[in-house]
Formats: sequence, structure tokens, C-alpha cells
Amino acid sequence: MENAKIIDLIKKISEERNEIAFSEIFDFIAPKINAYYLQNNLSVEQAEELTQEVLSTIWLKAELFDPKKSKFITWSFTIARNKKIDFYRKNQKNVANEEDIRDFLYTENQSDDYEIESIIKDITKDLDENQKKLIKMSFFEQKSHKNISRELEIPLGTVKSRIRASLIKMQKHI
Amino acid sequence: MNTTAQKNELIFGYTSGNLGEAKSLFTSMYLFLNSIAAKKASIFDNILAQNLSELEGVGLKKLKYTDCIKNDGSEKQISSLPKNPLSRIIGDLNHIDWKTVYKGFNEFKIPVNDNDSVKLIKMDPGTSVPLHSHNGKEFILVLDGSFYDEYGEYNKGDMQINDQQIKHNPTACKSNGCVCLSITENDVVFFGKFGSALNLFTFIKSFFK
Repeated sequence: MENAKIIDLIKKISEERNEIAFSEIFDFIAPKINAYYLQNNLSVEQAEELTQEVLSTIWLKAELFDPKKSKFITWSFTIARNKKIDFYRKNQKNVANEEDIRDFLYTENQSDDYEIESIIKDITKDLDENQKKLIKMSFFEQKSHKNISRELEIPLGTVKSRIRASLIKMQKHI
Repeated sequence: MNTTAQKNELIFGYTSGNLGEAKSLFTSMYLFLNSIAAKKASIFDNILAQNLSELEGVGLKKLKYTDCIKNDGSEKQISSLPKNPLSRIIGDLNHIDWKTVYKGFNEFKIPVNDNDSVKLIKMDPGTSVPLHSHNGKEFILVLDGSFYDEYGEYNKGDMQINDQQIKHNPTACKSNGCVCLSITENDVVFFGKFGSALNLFTFIKSFFK
């Protein structure tokens, strides 16, 4: 979906509480969030439950989304990740409410996504396909180094050193 | 030792959501106080979010958009919460029930469900900690005031990471002392004249944890 279209829909949600606009946002983002949770090894039921929480948050907090500061996809990703952390913490009776902390960081963060866009482009250009894949598996899908090694059929030591090398490459740009 | 890489590792861990509660709280305070660190975090957020944007969606079996529409007013809650991530957990930072470890050195253990312990340390102006090193890693973030040691001066928003190889003798600045957030993965090892007594003290203390 085009960025301008998303911004328009979110505006309609926050200003008019427009349910039709929300249904379009839902159709666009909910299947992706669901896929993210499934990739993170959650059951079909758990994935849908968390997707519901994320979409409810988007509905309730739409006014906190600032298109001048951030991309919608990044905002949605941070909400989805926070819900996942909360989900795991819930089983451990946590005392710290991570979601609130991250909400704050997101809304009050002094830098914006557009300002750093060129850095992100440089990083994505600099990483080769294998490195991108490892970053994705390790940090997005949260797979252990051991599982990555098994899945890609490369030695554990190689997984570790490649991830480290990718991080060093990224650090050069930031 | 490349501490930049270690600091970045914390930030990367934070944005991907795989830190324990202690390090997560610690890193959120670091991002809160340090705008360069916050910028790095958003770079990594955006990179991970690209994966989400490229991800092929999986259709929802039961969930419909109408299930996600709630109008219970809970969106209003967020504005009333304090901005500081630490205050959200332990309340007003000016009213902490400090425990004095020795004259001029106070600490407060923050309750988290984690193997790493996280605490606040308050050093009165000019107070110093005897020369010591660490069995595991120690992360120190300056929340207020400043301190200095053999490696330099650390001000508000600065982080220091120490490990077994580092022996240091930190001293709080003379004008307004120092408040730090600290994570220790393992006990501290003291050196010098009172070293053995201090080591015995931490050993005994460990029984009452």
C-alpha cells in the first residue's frame, strides 16, 4: 500500500474513528503481523490473539502515529514486537511494563525515520543476501544460533562469526 | 576492548526484543538519556521493520477487523504516565529508600524478574569505590552527576562496560556526586588494603540475597 494512502487512512482513524479506514489498514497489516508471529514460533491461536492486540493498539493509539517522524510499518513492527515481549513476560509475572516504556521511546524519540533513511539505505546496500538473511533469522525471527546452523546446514561457529561480521558492517554506518 | 560494539549489541538486543528484564530496563534508560543511542535504535528498528514489510501475509482464520475495535477510553492512559522509564517502575526518583553500603555510597535494588541484578547507586560528592574488578560484566549508566576513573570521565547518559580485565577505582565528582544505574552479571572482586575484607563481606552478603 502506498505511504500517502496509509497516512490518509490513519488520519481518518484518529480524527473520525472511521471504521472503514480501519478495515483497510487491517487488511493490509494484520496478515503480515500474523505471519511474523507464526515465524516466531507461536501457535495459530496465539498468533491471532497477539495480532488482535496489535490491531486494537493501532485503533486506540492511532493519534500517536506521527507520519512526519516514522513509517507506519516501523511503528507497527515496534508494537508487534512489544506485544510479543509482553506475551512471554506474562508467563513470568513481570513487574516492568515494557510496552509503556517502548511506547514512550517511540513517541518521544528525538530522531525520525526519514532523517536516518540514507543510513538505512547504505546499510542494506552494504550487506549481502546471506548477511541479510542471518540478521533476519536472528533478530526478526528470533531463532537461536543453533537453530540457524541446523536450518542452513552451516557450522555453529560460522553462524556466530557471520552475524558478528554483519553487525560490525552495520556499525560502520551508524 | 571494543565497548562500542558491546553498547551496540545491547541496542540491537533491545530493538529485537531479546534482552532480559534487567538489561531491557537498563537499555531503555540509556536510549532515554542518550540521543545518539536512540538514533541507533531507530535505525535497527527500521531495518527489522523492512522484513515485516517484505513478509508475505498469512490470512487470519477467525480474526476480523471488528474484533479489534475497542472504545473503552484506554487510549487516554498513556499521557498520564511519567516519561522516564525508570520512574514508571519505581516511582519518584527523588524518594528512593536508599540502603547505605558504606559512608557516601548508597544503593537500591530494583525488583526485576531476571538473573542479572539491576540497582541504583548513589555516591555522595567525592566518594570513591576501592580498586576492584568484576567476575562477570558490569554495565554502568550515569543518570545524574558524573564520576571518573582510570579510563576517563563519565557524565549523564554515558555508559561504561567493565569486565574481568578491567580494574578501576571510580570516584564521584566533587560538585554534585553521582547517581548511576548498574547491572552486574556476577560479583565484584576487590583489591588493595581492605580488599580481602570487602570480598568476604560480598561473599557473606550473597547468602542473604
